[in-house]
Amino acid sequence: MLDFLQMLVSGVAVGSSYALVGLAMVIIYKTSEVPNFAQGEMALISSFFTFMLLEQCGFPYYAAFPLALLFAVLLGFFLEFTVLRRAKDPNILGMIAITIGIEMILLGLVSWKFGADPKTLPFPISPYDSIALGEVFISALEALTVGVALVIMLILFIFFRFSKLGVAMKATQQNDTAARLMGIRTNRILMFTWGVSSLVGCVAGLLISPITMQPYMMWDPLLKGFAAAVMGGMTSLPGAVLGAYLLGIIENLFGGYVSIEFKSVVAFAIIVLVLCIKPSGLFARHYVKKV
Amino acid sequence: MSFFKVCNLSISFGGLAALNDVSFEVQKGQIFAIIGPNGAGKTTLFNCINGIYTPDEGEVFFKDQKINGLRPDRIARLGIARTFQNIELFNHMNTMENLMLGRHLHMKSNLFRGVGMWGPHSFAGQEEIAHRRKVEEIIDFLGLQSARNQPVGGLPYGTQKQIELGRALASEPEFLLLDEPCAGMNAEEKQDMIFWIKDIQDELGITILLIEHDMNMVMDISDHILAINFGGMITEGTPSDVQKHPEVLKAYLGEEDGEGSA
Amino acid sequence: MKKKALLRAAAVVAMVCGLVWNAMAEEGVSDTEIHIGQWGPQTGPAAAWGSVARGTDAYFKMINAEGGINGRKLIHHMFDDAYNPAKTKAGVKELQEGTGMFAWVSGVGTAPGLAVRDYLMERQIPWIGPSSGSLHWIDPASKYLFPIYPLYYIEAKALVRHAVKDLGLKQVAIAYQNDDYGKNGVQGAKAELAQHGLQVVAEVPVEVKDTDMKPHVMQLRKSDADTVLLWVSPVHAVKIVGTSKAMNFTPQWMSTSTCSDFPLMMHISKGLWEGVIAATFAELPDADHPLLQKYQKDAYGKFAAKDERWGLFYYAGILFAEPLVEAIRRCGQDLTRERVVSELEGLKNFRGIGGEISYGPLDTAKAYETRQGMKEVFLVKCLKDGKAEKLSDWMAIQYP
Repeated sequence: MLDFLQMLVSGVAVGSSYALVGLAMVIIYKTSEVPNFAQGEMALISSFFTFMLLEQCGFPYYAAFPLALLFAVLLGFFLEFTVLRRAKDPNILGMIAITIGIEMILLGLVSWKFGADPKTLPFPISPYDSIALGEVFISALEALTVGVALVIMLILFIFFRFSKLGVAMKATQQNDTAARLMGIRTNRILMFTWGVSSLVGCVAGLLISPITMQPYMMWDPLLKGFAAAVMGGMTSLPGAVLGAYLLGIIENLFGGYVSIEFKSVVAFAIIVLVLCIKPSGLFARHYVKKV
Repeated sequence: MSFFKVCNLSISFGGLAALNDVSFEVQKGQIFAIIGPNGAGKTTLFNCINGIYTPDEGEVFFKDQKINGLRPDRIARLGIARTFQNIELFNHMNTMENLMLGRHLHMKSNLFRGVGMWGPHSFAGQEEIAHRRKVEEIIDFLGLQSARNQPVGGLPYGTQKQIELGRALASEPEFLLLDEPCAGMNAEEKQDMIFWIKDIQDELGITILLIEHDMNMVMDISDHILAINFGGMITEGTPSDVQKHPEVLKAYLGEEDGEGSA
Repeated sequence: MKKKALLRAAAVVAMVCGLVWNAMAEEGVSDTEIHIGQWGPQTGPAAAWGSVARGTDAYFKMINAEGGINGRKLIHHMFDDAYNPAKTKAGVKELQEGTGMFAWVSGVGTAPGLAVRDYLMERQIPWIGPSSGSLHWIDPASKYLFPIYPLYYIEAKALVRHAVKDLGLKQVAIAYQNDDYGKNGVQGAKAELAQHGLQVVAEVPVEVKDTDMKPHVMQLRKSDADTVLLWVSPVHAVKIVGTSKAMNFTPQWMSTSTCSDFPLMMHISKGLWEGVIAATFAELPDADHPLLQKYQKDAYGKFAAKDERWGLFYYAGILFAEPLVEAIRRCGQDLTRERVVSELEGLKNFRGIGGEISYGPLDTAKAYETRQGMKEVFLVKCLKDGKAEKLSDWMAIQYP
């Protein structure tokens, strides 16, 4: 029983970092229907930027973290403005290919600038201190990640639901042409989307980096975050978060009770299963792909 | 001051001329109809007017301001709204939300103010109330009460056409482009639509540019008609003038053709 | 028919001539140059081991700066294979068939190495010092392959022996990377435990792609292990130790030479690596060892890139090349592949900056004795400042 509880808690903890990446992907998908595979590397470069500020330039935390978030937003703006917007006659497949291209360029950039030795991001909270809930343990960093993921989800949810910009984003996703005729500057909406998404991804990166950072650190969270988003139907923010928690818990239970060797494969089995059985996602309400 | 003017407009796609040297002028308060067979270039003309396409040559003026080359959202902000032949609604939103998006360009609260919508007395709250009132007027006007809270994707075709009209009205345009507003409607719905279009002209004082296939309707409500074919102008004038033109006769009266087909 | 026979004869003549010509001037050797190839991941998931090739490079440059070997300069051809066996194979072929290498040195990784072993062995090209302690290099043994890196197998034996005999620990568990590297460790640990009448209390596989170590740590914790061997990558090792600390599980951690670069490990673990015991095969970076200090001064000091670190894997690149350099030196002017092989086989108790290296004329029944170069390791414990405390002298260990 204790083991089971520990697995649940651990699942939620690890699910939180998947959730943040999943949220970042959903934000872009919601407005442009493009799964952004550069998401992980955008977070990566922002995290290494933070590392540079803290380790190499000697910035204090209170300056480095806000600067990192600002950097992430500008990076999102920059990529949308200089790369994606330039795509001629864009279609979804082309856009996906572009995001993969960006992914490789950013990865190369980080490897070149910072080398391959593993590093660790200085952080106010030690990733190895833990909070004990009775006999169940969660590390302080994980607790923080859980909290941050929930808060970000809540803010985004409210924002999309109620703000004028959120509604405009939704309109852009559902019908780009009509949105423009409503006086919505869809270009700017897309740019803004990329900024927000990059910001959320950066938060995920910053919460992963205090353990170890290396150029490939975002691959796994990206794939898991994507799996979570797919489970949630790709357009639902709470869906992505629930999907991420579910995935984290399933992984932990599977590792604990079935086979630790195939734990990592579970995520992909789930993607396939969901796409076969309920392609609109487990938590989608009425999403139907428009033709 | 001329209200709306198109001068020598041409556009071609892959060497194929879709519009060739089209010019006309719409007076304020008119219902101006464009007729022509399928593929004549009517919808292309609309797309050039509201900025979806950029014409190769020629110019478009709205209240003496050149508008060709502007982005669709800028043109919308100048007071030109439109509907589509194939209905372009936000399918997963309900009627209310669709109409509220029509108000989008009148909303002043930006991101930060929008986030600060705490209660009915805040700035954003006040604004929201005003916009909702306007949208309710339109819902009453078009008789859309029963569809108010339903996702529009699942509503009947005729109702969707009405909602699209409503959304265009919600933006309080001065100039309204209607692309086959009656296509696919039954006789009763058509009758309603004709009334509304007339009401829009009379009560709201909105100038209307209209594409329609139904000759009876066009002759009934239009003040001025332009007939085009193969991207070029055939004739222009009052309904009775245009009706007598041989090519119009050939296209519409000689052949049983063309109601509502896309 | 006649024509065909003629062609065949011509081909044979050409081949014989080729062989004779080869014997006169060996491929990759001229009066002034010796071409030596090496792959090493400078990019990709294993790029942290890229320093091995850079260490070898600086070592060769140092030798050249000191006049080369018997009047010949070492021309080092290294390429980045990104730890991708397909790229390793393509790169080796390209260099071998394009420029022509006399021999190959080091080369990071078991999988990349396995991808080119048959290619090199079929062409009778010497390959010295693959940078991994895999059993594959001696099982089966090959005439032209001279491994140096002590087997992961004996590292595991040495660690377990220390735990059981010196520390009195009996509950040994192992977390291992689910591949050749990890499984060699499990084999060694089990063999040594069996000698003491013990068994491993838990074997937990870690997939290379895993990032969340909690399920693994839960299994380790459940086994009540007092000692845990970490046969995983440095990043996984740090995550396991850290997660365990967060879950109040603090056994004696032991790890392989792969994780024995203590300054690096201390840094990325934020200090958690303190107290971890590891096996290692080369002198410590700050050891009072004249040869090592010379390398630090003349190879690293003069030829390393500005941000290069004087770490274990950097000078391991030197260590893996020392026997080849020694053999070439002993050849004198008569530098052929066969001669190099016989000189290598004649190496006995050769000591550079690592353990003793000995080979013998190939005897497949005694593959370990005649082809495994280094057969000893020593144990170190990580101290607070990232320095290492020597726990043992060189321990020679037998296989199997």
